[in-house]
Amino acid sequence: MEPRIPDLGRFAEPALLILVSLSDGPKHGYAIMTDVEAGTGRPLGPGTLYAALARLEERGMIEALVPVDRRRPYRLTAVGETMLAEQLRDLAKFADLGLRRLGRSPG
Amino acid sequence: MIALLLRLYPAAWRARYADEFASVLEERPLGPFDVADVLLSALDAHLHLRGLGAASQSQKGFVMSQRIGGYAAIVAGILWLIALGAQVINNGAAAVMPWMFFVMVIAIILTLIALTGLSAFQARRYPALTWAAFAVPAASAVVALVGFAAIAATGDTDRPLIAGFSSWAVMMIGMLGLFVGSGLFALVTWRVRTLSRAAAAVLGFGAITMIAAVAGEFAGLVPSTFGPVLMSVTFLAFSGGWAGLGISALRVSGPVSTTPEGASL
Repeated sequence: MEPRIPDLGRFAEPALLILVSLSDGPKHGYAIMTDVEAGTGRPLGPGTLYAALARLEERGMIEALVPVDRRRPYRLTAVGETMLAEQLRDLAKFADLGLRRLGRSPG
Repeated sequence: MIALLLRLYPAAWRARYADEFASVLEERPLGPFDVADVLLSALDAHLHLRGLGAASQSQKGFVMSQRIGGYAAIVAGILWLIALGAQVINNGAAAVMPWMFFVMVIAIILTLIALTGLSAFQARRYPALTWAAFAVPAASAVVALVGFAAIAATGDTDRPLIAGFSSWAVMMIGMLGLFVGSGLFALVTWRVRTLSRAAAAVLGFGAITMIAAVAGEFAGLVPSTFGPVLMSVTFLAFSGGWAGLGISALRVSGPVSTTPEGASL
């Protein structure tokens, strides 16, 4: 399967979780952490969060908004939205393939 | 403790993220997992920032080419509308030819720039498909420009230029190739989904109706009263499609927003 969010190394998975978290609207760092934790059941460390945020911002996939107090919200860019949608479609296809091989119906 | 952890990060990183990062760390008590995560990430920030200069330059170059392609596509769309619209309104009258030629030449050059900029953007994901779709309209644009240049240099549209084809024929072959190639580019743009699919569909529609109009004209399939209408629709779609792709390219590469609308705070 082609990697859809390129050049993020070990931050590829946290980056995907962050993009999904931002897909329903802008969030600041702590809101992303709690949202990811609620969605996956696994903690996202603050250091990992900001390492992934920095990489996503450099690649133009998210953009920083004006901070409110010291909290700076981030939101998806059009590029980030496109790449996220493509990656999720690929993951869905891959999941379907795996479930079919297991003899179980998707969904 | 938080201040100490922040000191572990490079100064450049702190200048950008320290405030918001500190606010995140203050949200809840730091556990051993958090401290270990921050220590590793501080090390990563030192390593990552070493390569950031080159990456930043690359990203700036990429955004710049995208914007140049977007602006070129918008202006090209407007110029195509003017030049091709004048052709329909005046039905090719000699009075409009000199300035129309000039506008068309500029439109072709800008279309070539737009193709290059937008293809560079789309090629990041689908290089083979994108550059294959780029090759046909780009080569055709060059052929059309050669035809235009020969006509401008000699003032003779009938003089054989290449392989027995006259300057006029070379120019027309190039123009038709550009229209058909734009259709291929639109098809790839639709497939890649990075730019506006609606604009790609409009451009593709313009390319298809252009082929239909030309085929109908030569084969006598299009009634004389219907011809100008078909050509008008074709030119509008072709011009609008390019302008639409340019606008969507500028939106995709737009500047960082400064409004926190809808933020979860």
